[in-house]
Amino acid sequence: MSSENIVMEQVLVNGLYLGMQYALIALGLTLIFALMNVLNFAHGQLYVVGGFITYIIYGKLGLPFFVAIVASGVTLGLVGAVIEKFLFRPVIRKSVREESTMLLAAAIAFFLDAIILLLFGEKQRGVPKILDGVMNLDFVVIMPYDRILIAALAGSAVVTFILFMQYSKPGRAMRALAQDRIAAQLMGVNVDRYSMIGFALGAMLAGVAGGLLVSIVGVNSGIGGPVSIKAFMMVMIGGAGVISGAIAGGFILGMLESIGLTVLVAYGDLTYLVIFVSLMIFLSIRPQGLMGKPWG
Amino acid sequence: MFVNSFSKYAGLKASLMTAALALTSVHSPITLAANEVLKIGFVGVTSGPAASWGISNQRSMEAGAAIINDNGGVKIGSVTYDLEIVSFDDQKDPKRAIAGMEKMAQENIHYVVGPNVDDGAAAVRPVAEQNDIIYFPYAFPKSLYQKPASNAVLGMVANYQSGPAIYKFLKDNNGVNTVAFIAANESDPLTQRESGVAAAEALGLKVVSKTVTYQVDTTDFSPVIIPIVKLQPDLLVLSGVAPANAPQIIRSARELGFKGLISTETGQDAQVLQEGAGSLANGFISVGGASTPTIRTKNMEAFIARYTEMFGEYNDESNTKVYALEYIVETLKANPAAINNVDEFKKTMDTFSAPNQYLKGDQVLRYVGMSSFGQRRQLSIPLVVNVYNEGKFETLFIAEVD
Amino acid sequence: MIFFIGVFVLVPWLIEMSGRWDYYYTLTSVALLSIASAGVWLTFYIGRINIGQGAYALAGGYLSAVLVTQYEVSFWLTIPLAGLFCAVLSMLIGLPILRLKGVYFAMITLVLTEVAKLTALALPITNGAKGIVSIPLPGELSVFGMTIIPDFSTLENVKLAFYYLAVTLMVICFAGMYRLVNSRMGHLCRSLQQNEELASSIGVNITTLRITAYAISSFLGGVGGSIFVAISQSIYPTSFQVADSINFMLNVFVGGLGYVFGPMLGTVVIYFGWDLLFQTGKFQLLIYSSILILLMLTVPNGLLSLRLFKWNKEKK
Repeated sequence: MSSENIVMEQVLVNGLYLGMQYALIALGLTLIFALMNVLNFAHGQLYVVGGFITYIIYGKLGLPFFVAIVASGVTLGLVGAVIEKFLFRPVIRKSVREESTMLLAAAIAFFLDAIILLLFGEKQRGVPKILDGVMNLDFVVIMPYDRILIAALAGSAVVTFILFMQYSKPGRAMRALAQDRIAAQLMGVNVDRYSMIGFALGAMLAGVAGGLLVSIVGVNSGIGGPVSIKAFMMVMIGGAGVISGAIAGGFILGMLESIGLTVLVAYGDLTYLVIFVSLMIFLSIRPQGLMGKPWG
Repeated sequence: MFVNSFSKYAGLKASLMTAALALTSVHSPITLAANEVLKIGFVGVTSGPAASWGISNQRSMEAGAAIINDNGGVKIGSVTYDLEIVSFDDQKDPKRAIAGMEKMAQENIHYVVGPNVDDGAAAVRPVAEQNDIIYFPYAFPKSLYQKPASNAVLGMVANYQSGPAIYKFLKDNNGVNTVAFIAANESDPLTQRESGVAAAEALGLKVVSKTVTYQVDTTDFSPVIIPIVKLQPDLLVLSGVAPANAPQIIRSARELGFKGLISTETGQDAQVLQEGAGSLANGFISVGGASTPTIRTKNMEAFIARYTEMFGEYNDESNTKVYALEYIVETLKANPAAINNVDEFKKTMDTFSAPNQYLKGDQVLRYVGMSSFGQRRQLSIPLVVNVYNEGKFETLFIAEVD
Repeated sequence: MIFFIGVFVLVPWLIEMSGRWDYYYTLTSVALLSIASAGVWLTFYIGRINIGQGAYALAGGYLSAVLVTQYEVSFWLTIPLAGLFCAVLSMLIGLPILRLKGVYFAMITLVLTEVAKLTALALPITNGAKGIVSIPLPGELSVFGMTIIPDFSTLENVKLAFYYLAVTLMVICFAGMYRLVNSRMGHLCRSLQQNEELASSIGVNITTLRITAYAISSFLGGVGGSIFVAISQSIYPTSFQVADSINFMLNVFVGGLGYVFGPMLGTVVIYFGWDLLFQTGKFQLLIYSSILILLMLTVPNGLLSLRLFKWNKEKK
């Protein structure tokens, strides 16, 4: 197919939209990593739980969408706090090498996968559209209204989160913690408490993302693992543990997919191979990602 | 001939025996116990992203077995058996599938439904052949069913059989001239896309796009689908699409302004389409078995009711998956010697025929596949082509595979 | 020595007595997966989280399958060739990526697994999506006309043959690992794990050391993969995937990062555990993951840290 047929504006708009949703997913993961040096394999599963909660409350019980999103966020926040306090904290304290938490994270991922499948079944679920209609600009850019709304909501969630981290007391404490755990402790930051808050916040972001996106793409019980892996990629592109990096990583991956799928359409099966190989090359050249510190 | 007269004799003897049993048990109305147990296996994927395929399979078998057991079991030869389904989750990993088949051999099971995907079906072949297991994969590679392979029986209609029928129908009735294909970047869908393209070209259709693929973990199909929407083909074929992905692709395509028809050659679930794409999925063409109220029998309704009662919610994918257990049981009834002897089973496959209790009309259960595989290694499942409309499937046409 | 008798005599005898023939395949898998896991363990030993072993297992499997089906090379020759191929491949890949540390290395190896799958899907020589099927069983291995290993297709019990093959390789592999860890290179690796800068300042060529360790690791992955292909007589791009890479890593964790025999024990527990839970039906994954979580809470440094295996510690 020839490239004249492809409308680049549409591709860019799709990339932006995709980037917005990816950024929201990646934020929680990077926050948890920054605070506790834990690569949370269960992040995608938390996202799925959030999706199902919104599915039940908005899709099945018929309560307002907004209520469902809040419920997803709050529930996941609680789940995150419990996971941190009763699982990660004791394991981190006892283990010799901190990588051990990866096994714990993977086990929690399996556990949530099992629970989700038992509770919500094997089928793909979706909810009624929150907004009907499609924005159509001269057939150059086509975007359904519900996507625009979700992108806006995701964007405001990201902005709220950044403001919270910048200006609130817990936000500042968490940033101190992320920068230097020991120094923060010496300065009187309650490490245990803020680790828990941070984990809860990260889980909450995953839950909100799941809740928002269920209205566009639906949710199914098996998608957790793949979502985690995709989120890892975004975090790595931007630089692990850096908030602006996660957002950048989300947008870059979104754009990469959107543009790559269009430009490389003739090579079909190779598109993702090219994307992944470039990612590997990029990381080898710049191991700390775009904005990360070369710690790891 | 021998087989026939034998089974007749066995049937006679058996009915005499039940009569005798019935006489002796007049005074004790509760005679539930004492049936022997016949184990039938299932090896497939019941967790992870593809869980839907295996779970609908496993549950169909369990619901089918429950109905039979409630009616006092199934009489094969002179013995009445209760069915027990032994399931193994292979997690869509071919290495696990081998372990599952070994488990089945250990349990002395000779008839196994599954696996659900190409790699698993190929991997279990050595184990199945070494241990005298006949297995019923839901995977399409012809090498599984052609000689020298002989223990695999295709459990459904292959896409290289249903595809041509659907394309031809749409070409003749809807004036379809151009067609585009989209497939997940995985073995099964890619292979199905290839045979779909070949079938379309053989019919004289113009294939305008056959290179668009997507990752199985795609959460947004708009970027994937844009190149095809711009081409506006008359027909968009979703090759080997997973039920989870179908509504999302349809929704993205329609929202971006795609006008043509959309079809697939795999079974789908109406509820999933309804939730995931709503009325945008209207007109979506897919393949089913005893799938619409107009063509299904009371027995099928009873099966659906039982399934719903046991598992809370029916899955339309089971409309085709209801058949595997039925075939195994009916073939064993036709030749009781096959119960521990797969060679007897294979012999019976060539001549076997029984009424189809799930579909109205005079379609029969038999083994087919002569034209595709050169031997009878496929279940004849009615090729029912459905079109989705407002939460329900409607039958477009019915065909049969030879 | 006890171990030798255990795996070569006792286990087959027990299986014979109990009639649990299916355990041959289970144990064969355990042996092969523990070989691949041993490789992952070695990369952990130099301080790298490796989630990419699936890529090398797949590469080794494909090399063996291609050589056997298209070039009629003896399967026995393809085992070391698969290992060497993966070792060379890993040197090329390792050179740039081994500079990465921590989660960055973990992540890039995870992507590598995905890249391997996509490459297998795209290449003509791997037969793309259709995989390579109907691969013959291993043929006869003879030296100077003397049969060392008979043709597997003439054997009465192929399962037993594969079992012996797998455990033999496993024993060789872990004996080698034990030697390696207690050699000078092992000590250097340990210093690398603790502090790379320091190791480098006392004159250790860390680049060579890292690449050597990674190549050995990948060699083991390739060997494991090639034998799996012979058992299933088929290979697909999904024969080894991300889930396998993650499982290899879990095996190592469960056994214990600080113990040479950790990966073996970890594989036994993880693989066998899943197998034993087969009876529990739809609750299998739930119970399995709960046990994993409990394991982590009670023995976060791996099962071998329990010091039930004192002999191992003392020898160190």
